[in-house]
Amino acid sequence: MSNQHIFQEMDHAMGTLKEKVQLMATLTCQNIRHAIQSLLAQDLDLARMVIGDDTEVDELEVKIDQMGLDILIRFHPVATDLRAVITAMKTAHNLERISDHAVNIAKRTKKICKSQSPIEVKFIEPLFIMAEKIFNDAIFAYNQGNSELGQDLHLSDKELDAAYKEVSSSLSGQLENAGSNAENILHLILVARSIERIGDLAVNIGEDSFFLSKARDIRHEQRRNQG
Amino acid sequence: MVNSSTEASVSRDTAVQIQGVNFSYGSKQVLHDVTMDIPTKQVTAFIGPSGCGKSTLIRCINRINDRIPNARITSGSIRVHDIDIHRPDINMNELRRRVGMVFQKYNPFAKSIYENVVYGLRIAGVSKRSELDEAAEKALTSAALWNEVKDRLNSSAFGLSGGQQQRLCIARVIATEPDIVLMDEPCAALDPLATLKIEELIHELKQNYTIVIVTHNMSQATRCSDRTAFMYLGNLIEYGDTMQIFENPSNPQTEAYISGRFG
Repeated sequence: MSNQHIFQEMDHAMGTLKEKVQLMATLTCQNIRHAIQSLLAQDLDLARMVIGDDTEVDELEVKIDQMGLDILIRFHPVATDLRAVITAMKTAHNLERISDHAVNIAKRTKKICKSQSPIEVKFIEPLFIMAEKIFNDAIFAYNQGNSELGQDLHLSDKELDAAYKEVSSSLSGQLENAGSNAENILHLILVARSIERIGDLAVNIGEDSFFLSKARDIRHEQRRNQG
Repeated sequence: MVNSSTEASVSRDTAVQIQGVNFSYGSKQVLHDVTMDIPTKQVTAFIGPSGCGKSTLIRCINRINDRIPNARITSGSIRVHDIDIHRPDINMNELRRRVGMVFQKYNPFAKSIYENVVYGLRIAGVSKRSELDEAAEKALTSAALWNEVKDRLNSSAFGLSGGQQQRLCIARVIATEPDIVLMDEPCAALDPLATLKIEELIHELKQNYTIVIVTHNMSQATRCSDRTAFMYLGNLIEYGDTMQIFENPSNPQTEAYISGRFG
């Protein structure tokens, strides 16, 4: 099959759409990294930058939706092309939500920075490394059409979930005797929760990448098969 | 179609069985070993580039190709409701009554609207006025044309718009109560609104008739049909549920064609 459409304007539109999603993924990746760096380094300026940079991600989501809509109206894509448009729009939505979690982490960081009570945050880093790997794998699966990788992300996410539960439970256990640090512990619980959600949303991107390559919807497949 | 009842084991789900059909215009073979079952009371669309054989194939189903010198099925068979349409004792008038056809260019006769609709019935020997009136109203109603023409049934058919003339041709076909309606690019000469009316009509008609439509309009195939067959160079490349064909075709040639990457 030729990779080019007879109507080359469609190739251009589809290519631009994918480029925008890739740009959005790069900015989102940068945002979550900066968010966690701001937490680990207690860097108020970096936290503020994450909050500011989220605007560009929000705007890209709107832009990608508009471009997808334009392609649907102008070119009536079918089969792989149709799945590519739908997947681009869904991926953009998931990226926007992931960037929102980066903002959540940055906001918690700001509060922790402004508090008078110092708190240990280093133990959050392994959780983030796990989530970041799932995110990177999801984006790789989307970019390269690697359906197997997209399908297997839920396995890594299970490990992340288990690690999150451990961290969350440990933090909750410290709450009772935390005294003046109770508020910061609550912030860290919510940071851990955001990291865990980043993993979930990255899994969504992996599932959509599988749909793009294989035309099969694997969301909630385990539950559906059991039912 | 035939006088005997020896072939009474009619498959209820299959209207047309096409088995290993090869077809040639003289020495030029244009269909190659085409095999497919067309289900009853569903819409089956034939798609493919010009010259791929889809119109030839649809015209084999009511043997209208027989009128072309040297055009013939060289091997294979076509059965309509389990009856071989090439049996020597086949009644061609009855075959074409049961397998009606609508063409790309609407072709009403130079007669009144009423006479166009009852034309087939008169040929079949029906002459009782009340019977013809009833059939005309029923066919025009089924073709979604009755309300537009009931007050001018005796006016010339040529006074109707293009879309109305095409619906009149459909009414003329269904007045004879066929089992199968073949449509060869029925909307090719119509504007978008007239096209949508025909498509809505196709959707209604499939409650009672098996419909086979040849179309170059991919959107029309997705809107109208339950099954889609993609043909290329006289071969049936892929045949399946329309949603499957347009969401996830099995054959790369099908994908290339429907997504505009052909050639």
